[in-house]
Amino acid sequence: MNKKLIYSTIFFLVIIVLYGFGEGSFFIEKSYFKFSMVMLVATTLYYYIDRAKAGGDIYLRPIAGLKAIEEAVGRATEMGKPVLFVPGISDMDQVETVSGLILLGHVAETTAKYEAGLNVPVSKSIVMEAGREACRESYLKVGRPDLYYDDMVHYLTDDQFAYAAGVNGIMLREKPAACFYLGKFYAESLILAETGNSIGAIQIAGTGSPAQIPFFVTACDYTLIGEEFFTASAYLSKKPELLGSIKGQDIVKGFVMAAMVLTVVLNGFFQMGWIEFNILTLFGN
Amino acid sequence: MLLKRHIPLFIVVGVGLLTLFGHFINQKDIQNFVDNDSTQWFDIIASFAIFLGALNMLKLQMLKITRKQKNWQYSLLAVIGFAFAVFAGFFFRGANFITLSQISPESVTPIAELITSEFDLENSTIIEKKLSAENAEYEVPKIFITESGAEEFMEKLEPYNVEMVIDAKPWGAHMQTEGSLFSWMFFNIFNPLSSSMFALLAFFVASASYRAFRIRNFEATLLLVAGIILMLGRVPIGELIPWWVVAILIVFGIGALTAPLIKDRRILVASIVGGILLFLGVGVSLGWNEAPPAALLIPVIQDWIFDYPTTAGSRALMIGIALGIVATSFRIIIGIERSFLGE
Repeated sequence: MNKKLIYSTIFFLVIIVLYGFGEGSFFIEKSYFKFSMVMLVATTLYYYIDRAKAGGDIYLRPIAGLKAIEEAVGRATEMGKPVLFVPGISDMDQVETVSGLILLGHVAETTAKYEAGLNVPVSKSIVMEAGREACRESYLKVGRPDLYYDDMVHYLTDDQFAYAAGVNGIMLREKPAACFYLGKFYAESLILAETGNSIGAIQIAGTGSPAQIPFFVTACDYTLIGEEFFTASAYLSKKPELLGSIKGQDIVKGFVMAAMVLTVVLNGFFQMGWIEFNILTLFGN
Repeated sequence: MLLKRHIPLFIVVGVGLLTLFGHFINQKDIQNFVDNDSTQWFDIIASFAIFLGALNMLKLQMLKITRKQKNWQYSLLAVIGFAFAVFAGFFFRGANFITLSQISPESVTPIAELITSEFDLENSTIIEKKLSAENAEYEVPKIFITESGAEEFMEKLEPYNVEMVIDAKPWGAHMQTEGSLFSWMFFNIFNPLSSSMFALLAFFVASASYRAFRIRNFEATLLLVAGIILMLGRVPIGELIPWWVVAILIVFGIGALTAPLIKDRRILVASIVGGILLFLGVGVSLGWNEAPPAALLIPVIQDWIFDYPTTAGSRALMIGIALGIVATSFRIIIGIERSFLGE
């Protein structure tokens, strides 16, 4: 058995035993199961990150939406039109916005390489500052700081529909050849995506809002569905430690599936009166 | 490097770990930090940051106007709107009200009637009661944007020999006060515009549905059928569709699926017609006209689609998204994800 797995298991067990000893005094009561699950997920992710760093081979299936980024920017360059990037309407406290900005860095790198115009209207001032930082670094990295200017990332408004109206106006006036919608979206998602569709732009979307995914699937050429959106950073950077976390995430998903099946079976047994342990008590029911 | 990378990273990792483990540590100050302070810090930073955004927006629009760039007229409108909102919010309260006092008993009824008729109120009795209360100070139920507007109304009250004072709602409260300049702008300009944008969604949904429902492949057909059943099942007419219509549709569906396997058209048509007759015959003989089985009722099928396949699909998505968020957060908290810092 590999040593890292043994160390990770020991670490996990020691931590949860410590929690058990300190429960009620140093640690809060009735959160033992929740804490164990947090630690299980964290240990699994850390184990796979560590393994990837040591040179473990990790396969990532091709994600069409991410591969199409270069194609979309290339198309915009050929047509002599700008690229529009919409990072959603939420602030930096949302992981989707952070993921969107990570992808903005990659898109900016590509636009710098192709010398295509980039327009990033934002709805939150903090996102504007973070977006500028991401773009500036990308243009520097590619060796084209001369193409960068602060106002490529600009603020429109905090209000949801005023922002949608503003972005729609930009689309209809500038007719960008490629539109990216990567971040957290609400009802404005379809307004933006349909307008982008009407101007014939190639559209790539990704969001963590389940209710908006069908709209993007309908109106966009490529959609990063669910966790695909969050793997983008690892997928594009190919850094082993980031790829390791994706592998860990999939293993955790396997745990979740197994736990669901086990919960259904054990609850079925409990309902039939074959066992006395009600597994739902673990979840606070 | 230290200021741009290491210190921000240290703050992210420190606050991230504290927030995660703060939920489990039995210490009031830490709990308070996690639940209240940290979110308040964020709100404070975001409130200050709004100036950066507003100034950026103003700068870009002003540049467009001064350089007379294409469509500069829209920018002019944006700047005027911005200036008006700032004026109504910070410089002009526009929330004046009149307070009446020392009202003589014989003036109560005419004043109440005047107020009722001037401001289109329904019942003057309540106003009368308030006016006749001992040592009453009555606030006229109307906010005047300008002082001259208030004075104009006061002139109408002058014959009743009553003490009148014009006052204004305090700063800050004036924005929430109905009838103030800011609320007038909000309810008469901003709200209708915002609602119009939201209403556009209906048309976009229609065009997107048309594109999604176009029959191109098996999945699109499935979507179309499920969509139609859901739409019919949620309106009253869905309940009126008899079981035999659903039975015929089921046979047609099976026919459509098996059609590629049956080369002879005559056999296919005969099978479909035979299937329909058989289905209907069985249904009639089993008395489905009086008590149809639930599986052949559109509202029941709609509920099933919504409760099982749709819920299963959306939960699978949600679990994937949740795990993605957990993994991304973990990468940020342990400091291996630094792309958002521009690295």
